[in-house]
Amino acid sequence: MHIELRGISKHFGEVAANADVNLEIKAGEVLALLGENGAGKSTLMKILYGFYQGDSGEIVIDGTTVEIDTPRTAMALGIGMVFQQFNLIPALSVAENLMLAYPKSPWWQSRHRPVWSTVLENLTKLARDIDPSKLVRHLAIGEQQLVELAKVLNLNAQLVILDEPTAVLTPQESERLWALVRQLADSGRSVVLITHKFEDVEACADRVAIMRAGRLVEVADARGKTIDEMVTLMMGQHQVAANPSVKSPQKDIQKLWIKSISAKDRRAAIVDIELQLAPGEILGIAGVAGNGQRLLADAVAGLAVLDNGEVILDGEVVSRLGRQPVNPNRNSKIGYIPEQPLENGVASDLDLTTNLSLHRLVGMPFFPKKQTEQAQAQKLIDEFNVRPSDPTKLAQDLSGGNLQKLVSARELSGMPSLVVACYPSMGLDILSTRAIYEQMFKHAERGACILWISEDLDDLLQYAHRIAVLSHGKITGILPAASADRQTIGLLMTGARKTA
Amino acid sequence: MNGSRVLRAEVFPILASACLFLALGAGFFLLEGHAPVALFLEMVKSAFGDSFAWSETLVKVAPILLCASAVVLPAKLGLVTVGAQGQMNFGAMAGTALVLSMMNGSAWVVLPLMLLTASLGGAFWGAVPGVFKARLGVNETISTLMLNYLALQLVDYVVHGPWKDPSNLGWPASANFPDAAILPTFFGSRVHLGLVIGVVAALILHVLVTYSRWGIALKVMRSNQRVALSAGLNYERNVIIVMAISGLLAGIAGIAETSVMQGRLQAGLAGGYGWSGFLVAWLSGQSFLRIIPMSILVGGLLSSADALQLFAQLPSSSAIILQGMLFVSALVVMNWVKLRGYHA
Amino acid sequence: MLDSSAFNISDLTVSSLRSSTPILLAILGETLTQRVGIINLGVEGQMLVGALAGFAATLSFGNPWIGLLVGALAGVLMSSLHAGLCVGLKANQIASGIAVLILGMGLTSFYGIPYVGQKIHGFHHLLSAHWQTVPILGTFVSQLTPTVIIGLIATPLVGIWLYRTRTGLIWRSVGESVQVARATGINPAFVQVQGVLIGGFFSGFAGAAMSVDYTRDWVENMTGGRGLVAVGLVIVARWNPFLALPAALLFGGSEAFYLRLQTAGVAVSPYLLATIPYVVTLLVLLVSYYLANKEGGAPQGLTAIFR
Repeated sequence: MHIELRGISKHFGEVAANADVNLEIKAGEVLALLGENGAGKSTLMKILYGFYQGDSGEIVIDGTTVEIDTPRTAMALGIGMVFQQFNLIPALSVAENLMLAYPKSPWWQSRHRPVWSTVLENLTKLARDIDPSKLVRHLAIGEQQLVELAKVLNLNAQLVILDEPTAVLTPQESERLWALVRQLADSGRSVVLITHKFEDVEACADRVAIMRAGRLVEVADARGKTIDEMVTLMMGQHQVAANPSVKSPQKDIQKLWIKSISAKDRRAAIVDIELQLAPGEILGIAGVAGNGQRLLADAVAGLAVLDNGEVILDGEVVSRLGRQPVNPNRNSKIGYIPEQPLENGVASDLDLTTNLSLHRLVGMPFFPKKQTEQAQAQKLIDEFNVRPSDPTKLAQDLSGGNLQKLVSARELSGMPSLVVACYPSMGLDILSTRAIYEQMFKHAERGACILWISEDLDDLLQYAHRIAVLSHGKITGILPAASADRQTIGLLMTGARKTA
Repeated sequence: MNGSRVLRAEVFPILASACLFLALGAGFFLLEGHAPVALFLEMVKSAFGDSFAWSETLVKVAPILLCASAVVLPAKLGLVTVGAQGQMNFGAMAGTALVLSMMNGSAWVVLPLMLLTASLGGAFWGAVPGVFKARLGVNETISTLMLNYLALQLVDYVVHGPWKDPSNLGWPASANFPDAAILPTFFGSRVHLGLVIGVVAALILHVLVTYSRWGIALKVMRSNQRVALSAGLNYERNVIIVMAISGLLAGIAGIAETSVMQGRLQAGLAGGYGWSGFLVAWLSGQSFLRIIPMSILVGGLLSSADALQLFAQLPSSSAIILQGMLFVSALVVMNWVKLRGYHA
Repeated sequence: MLDSSAFNISDLTVSSLRSSTPILLAILGETLTQRVGIINLGVEGQMLVGALAGFAATLSFGNPWIGLLVGALAGVLMSSLHAGLCVGLKANQIASGIAVLILGMGLTSFYGIPYVGQKIHGFHHLLSAHWQTVPILGTFVSQLTPTVIIGLIATPLVGIWLYRTRTGLIWRSVGESVQVARATGINPAFVQVQGVLIGGFFSGFAGAAMSVDYTRDWVENMTGGRGLVAVGLVIVARWNPFLALPAALLFGGSEAFYLRLQTAGVAVSPYLLATIPYVVTLLVLLVSYYLANKEGGAPQGLTAIFR
């Protein structure tokens, strides 16, 4: 199948997500669509998939202009897409999920019917080791991705679009995926790989198309470009702000002791985590998302049920065995920036004033003064540059990045002894990221401990004093950031325990 | 907000709901072979036509208002309770127990104690599903509905069994309350202290929920329990407290009905007031201020059902049908407006 | 002194089954409704309407089968209100269910007045002549009434339909995630309307089974909360039709048991004994909630509205 996108433009309000993009996708090739977050890669592919309609331009398949108004049309034309958010039902089995999406599924579906083997054929080719009777809920993210891919292949897709497929994978899972992508291309299908990682391009792409700010800036043979060239094309020539500095911690005193804690809930488990932090120390937690980060952060912040161990801060137990007692004073000692601030960090249907005063709520006078609260909120909003800057706006009306700033404003505004931060720069541009880092590291300079969970290895290597790697709920190694390298950390992320 | 927007957002839904309700009601009356307009006018007259009509309406407003508050307060925490009916029964039973043990006490002692025990009884019957919810996560809507039937059966048991009074000639009821156990009434009518308690409770709760720290805490807990927990708020304790206060209010409604209206404990004392309270709470958008006028409207509807019986020989259960129609009308209009709002 | 003949095992089983049948049918219907992600608290109202309509139809046509059918259709009619409000207008499901419940109570007590005290004949014991001669099993089978048999057959049918057919798979997927279902090309609203209406059919049938086959009379509010108990027992049965029978037997069995206690002359007030089925149901509900909190299993679409 040969596809041409001609003069595609798409605006969201004022913002031009795509501006006059011309792109060719050849049969049997792997095309890497490279660009920073917000460069317009996903939008372009969603237009091809019928998820969005372009404002102008046309799509030509094998010489015929086609109108793709819905994903169903795209599927009928042989175009399939695997999103970052999978379209799988966790409570159904792998086989049931595939059957649900199978176009010719029979009405009667007894376990013994031969149709099951047809439905499972593509999955078996992709991954022999996935048990089709397992519930999707019990699969690892990488396995779910393969099920989703099998679903798309069952629709007989001739073009497969993968949206940031390796973002959620361990290095080993990524390698398996690259090999599969090559196989698909060798069997005559086309693959578009939306990515911002150069290793994806190097590992399996035939050609690379680079986008910046909604425009296609370069299309070239993948082997013809060096990483430096690609970086320049992706980023443009903009100035990077000066990095915040990080002071070395006071080494021998121990301020935070995470004492062999274990916990589990429906989605994750952590086992026997032992960490000690000195005053002013920044400890980075690296690992693929979904390996227990959220539970670890909750446990340290005193919000999870511990099956074992305790957490001691400044000689005081903040988190102990069993259910945590509701502790109104927790907020003065611990600043906690949870992952997914909309679900975990704000009361979304309440105004910014309330959301910014949550950590002080218990100590307020019984009839709080509205003006005082609003003035305090306004101060934080201005300091952390939250937009819109109106304290009477509801939290749910904020963008992801501004929610992140809102939660940071609340959690980093006091004098915490411990800051637990999960992906604090999620959804933020470079300048805002620097600003949040500065606020965070300010507390380290004051002598507070920082437990910093991140997927961005470069940032961790640059700012953290030590990096602990979390895999399958266990700490597989702790390295001083100065002497750590990506390869070792990548290996630890797969669960290989570091040998002394 | 400018005038036309207020008109669209506030007045239109009310008018549209009223029209739909009147249309449904008219259909019902026509089906029963009555001229709807004349009947509606008769209903309004018998609910609000003169001072006696007003007093009979206000008599019905008291329990409705208390039961509506009992629904609105839990709603502030995101809980949907339908247990006022059972809490009225249980509260009445607890209050009656006290009265039966002090048949010769003076009003100054009996009345406060009766109100206290009835409150505690109602609070207990409300706290039970609260504890279920807080400790085991049992859905409060289902448990309160089931506890309604249980409380009803317990009242049945005591009035057929241990408290059955032989002087009632076989009718299952407790002994008549002594005068000292009858709540004070006003203006020579049957309007009783329960109404005052209902209005005062709604106003106090309005102030607390709107302006106090506790009110903010309730909002936060309703919105996001995880965030509430990290702010040091105790959701579980508040569930139990809120459910207990809700039961307490309904318990007072129960003993007031028993003491003033029935004069003794007997089955069916709660009428359908629990349901009416639920209806009023929803019609008012779970607001403590709006339930006051809304209770008067629904109270009027109930007392005009007497007129329907008199003028059109319609059984008293027509009041339940009309309430159901009112609920459906409001749900249709409210959600229609909301859906259109999203598309516009 | 207790009369031990009241506790003949075969008799007790039959009477348990008979008193469980209405609730079993209601659980099956509500299970299907909840499986598509809608909760319907109006089951009680639908049962009442089904019971009255079924009773009235039996009385005027003289045929209990027509009564059952009319009852079921009356249930569909009531549930279409819920479907319109919740699916069509996206109204709050709890409020809409309660509205259906209030309407059902009002309509039946209003239009039921002329039927109070009337009697119908119900079903002839279809199988009796044949089976009475078979030892032990004979008496057992001969006492089963048609609705009991229908309930016992419907249970596995609903289960197999839900777990072994494409439509069943589609229904389950809609209840789990409307978004994913839509992305797969399913029309979720259409499926949800079907789920509510079939629930209405079952609950109307359940009500009719009660008035036409079980008590054979009409009494105001005769379902006595069985519709609400059924909603609770759906949770106990973990949204699994195969477990609907044991769940229904919890209520029906304890009802049969207390009625036997009563006829056996036990010295406890019958009014106190009558609380047994409700207390048992409530206790089992508590236990199953406790277990559910550990394991989950509710259709995901439900958890947003109904925790």
